[in-house]
Amino acid sequence: MSNEQLVKKSPSFFNNPKNRSLVYQFLLLAGLSYFFYGIVSNTIANMEALGIKSGYGFLTETAGFDILMSLVPYDATYTYGRTFVVGLLNTILVSIVGIFFSTILGFIIGIAYFSKNWLLHKMSIVYVQTFRNIPLLLQVFFWYFAVLAALPGARDSINIGEAFFLNVRGLYFPAIVGESGSGFVHAALAIAVIAAIIIKKWAKKRQDETGQQFPVFITAIGLIVGLPLITNLILGTPFILDYPSLQGFNFAGGVTVIPELMALTLALSVYGAAFIAEAVRAGIQSVPHGQTEAARSIALPEKRIMSLIIVPQAMRVIIPLLNSEYQSLIKNSTLATAIGYPDLFTVFVGTTLNQTGQAIEIVFMTMAAYFAINMLVSVIMNFMNGGVALTERK
Amino acid sequence: MNMKEFIAKPAKPAPSSAVGPVAWMRENLFSSILNTACTVVFVAFLVSIIPALFDWFFWSANFAGATQAACVGDGACWVFTKAWFQQLMYGSYTDGELWRVNICVISLFAVIYAATKLPKDYRNKIAIPLFLVLPFIWIIILNGKLLGLEHVSTDYWGGFALNVLMAAASIIVAFPLSFLWALGRRSEMPFARTVCVILIEFFRGVPVLALFFMGSVMLPLFFPEGTNVDKLIRVWIVLILFMSGYMAEVFRGGFQAIPQGQYEAADSIGLSYWQKNLLIILPQNIKISMPNILATFIMLFKNTTFLLIIGIFEILSTTQAALTNSNWLGGHSTEGYVFVALLFWICCFSMSMISNSIERKLETSHRN
Repeated sequence: MSNEQLVKKSPSFFNNPKNRSLVYQFLLLAGLSYFFYGIVSNTIANMEALGIKSGYGFLTETAGFDILMSLVPYDATYTYGRTFVVGLLNTILVSIVGIFFSTILGFIIGIAYFSKNWLLHKMSIVYVQTFRNIPLLLQVFFWYFAVLAALPGARDSINIGEAFFLNVRGLYFPAIVGESGSGFVHAALAIAVIAAIIIKKWAKKRQDETGQQFPVFITAIGLIVGLPLITNLILGTPFILDYPSLQGFNFAGGVTVIPELMALTLALSVYGAAFIAEAVRAGIQSVPHGQTEAARSIALPEKRIMSLIIVPQAMRVIIPLLNSEYQSLIKNSTLATAIGYPDLFTVFVGTTLNQTGQAIEIVFMTMAAYFAINMLVSVIMNFMNGGVALTERK
Repeated sequence: MNMKEFIAKPAKPAPSSAVGPVAWMRENLFSSILNTACTVVFVAFLVSIIPALFDWFFWSANFAGATQAACVGDGACWVFTKAWFQQLMYGSYTDGELWRVNICVISLFAVIYAATKLPKDYRNKIAIPLFLVLPFIWIIILNGKLLGLEHVSTDYWGGFALNVLMAAASIIVAFPLSFLWALGRRSEMPFARTVCVILIEFFRGVPVLALFFMGSVMLPLFFPEGTNVDKLIRVWIVLILFMSGYMAEVFRGGFQAIPQGQYEAADSIGLSYWQKNLLIILPQNIKISMPNILATFIMLFKNTTFLLIIGIFEILSTTQAALTNSNWLGGHSTEGYVFVALLFWICCFSMSMISNSIERKLETSHRN
């Protein structure tokens, strides 16, 4: 056998993996370009045929429609741009309230799974299996059309202590209105929170150095409750409660929670709680039993075992799961449109799109807004995750 | 020799304080003051609720009759769901042609059954192609034009059958597509990878409703002027893409769980890229990912109710229509919703049980 035959021949052009991958990617690029070229040219042709304008000029035009609920001043004379802001704020409101309640309820139910009480344990399973397996939209409808619509009228409101009223038009409760001097109380609260954070840092540093513990929790609670309270008393309570009262056929004053918001929050919280409970259960189950035993063997009291050993390790599993649950809750809040709660989707993609017909710009803005909110949640949760994640050898 | 034979006395039963219902209750319901308080509160709650529920459901409920007039008493009026049953299940599909819908649903279960029960040798050769052509067979059967049957326009398709078929048709097409995306995401070609990452993250990050709106408002703008793509087809495309985004991530998890040795072994016996991925990796991936695939499918199935928003008569919008029907304005929303909830609950719960049992079968680690 001659040497020449043994010399490795370089593969033919197409058998060279590098060339191949270049060819494939070029084909993909060409295909995608053709696809997008087709879409763009079709869209332009279609829009011309339908007489749809393009560009973002419509944002400064007058909207001319009312919105059921708004956190910022709004009426029909404001612009389309303003409708975007109103919708976005309503979406953020329902997301925050939904996340708050679903987290609390979810943690309670998730922990109830580990209860020694048989009934509580079973109830936790029943809750999760019931609400997880029923479509969210159905739950929204159930709360809105079956439960809240069956509430009594304004005159026969369910009344708790002449301050909270619940009727078919919504939930009414007193508003806290600050008078002159209330700014000091707010400032006191802010100072107390900052002081509490500083004390916590200092206490941790001291414990690391000397091993002495400091009652951080009690001090912080004392500060956060006490300081504003004392300021409040010194200034002679610069707050008044604005009670809702029945005037004619409806209530005036106080804060009103419209039934659309109530139904949506209820459904999102109840549905989300079932998934968060599962996340909490998975998190706690992921901590091996040996950890509890080890903690007991070094004579940690039971309460400290939970807070120092189990919870921090469970949180490593729970927080990434919570992150995705929160994001899906925010995405699911678009179901508002089914019952007419004026969230970003209902207002902007619903009414504004109908009036202007500028589908591309509006859908793009809405999607960008949801992406941005979800990104923000993700960043916050990753930051929290950084606090609990396992620090391994580098 | 007179040795007394030893007769063992039967062991005494454990004291009632250690076994039996009383001991069980003491252990599980009344072990501490807090525990007892919990039990009392819950028992009181259940006692106050369960009889009322049963009363509403069965004892005070109306079953007989056909019109609103039969709804008397305080209980549920199941006459409502009975009268609307056909609509809820089949939508407004032509009366005499319902067997076509039934055939479609039955064929779905038949193929699933075949895929699990056929001998291994033919299983893949028969079940997989069958699965892939199913959605198109359904369209042909339900439409009826090609078969010379009565033509039923998609405007009349609806009801729970539409939810089931839509979800199934979407996941069937999403299967190969998402596998392709997942492969693309792991690929060494930077451009292909970027494209796949963007696709996956886009369809996962956007609310489904926004996608549906895109499907009904923007998609018509993308097609050449004059083409009129059926609304249901547009929604189907949206559901496929949405599902593919989620499934691609499920497959990615599966890829990561397959030992590196499998890839190396496939390479070392000279399999091509596609042979390796389709014959070695895909079967293992599906096996590992099955519980997650089912969980994703449950999500998709529940999300088919969102079709209501863009005016397609799936079960929930049929319920809404029935509730506002002028002959049935008696406030039957609870009955309607409970019926639909039960249907979905039974389907989703049994799927999650199947998923659990697969998971247990696959659980071969020796923890605990």
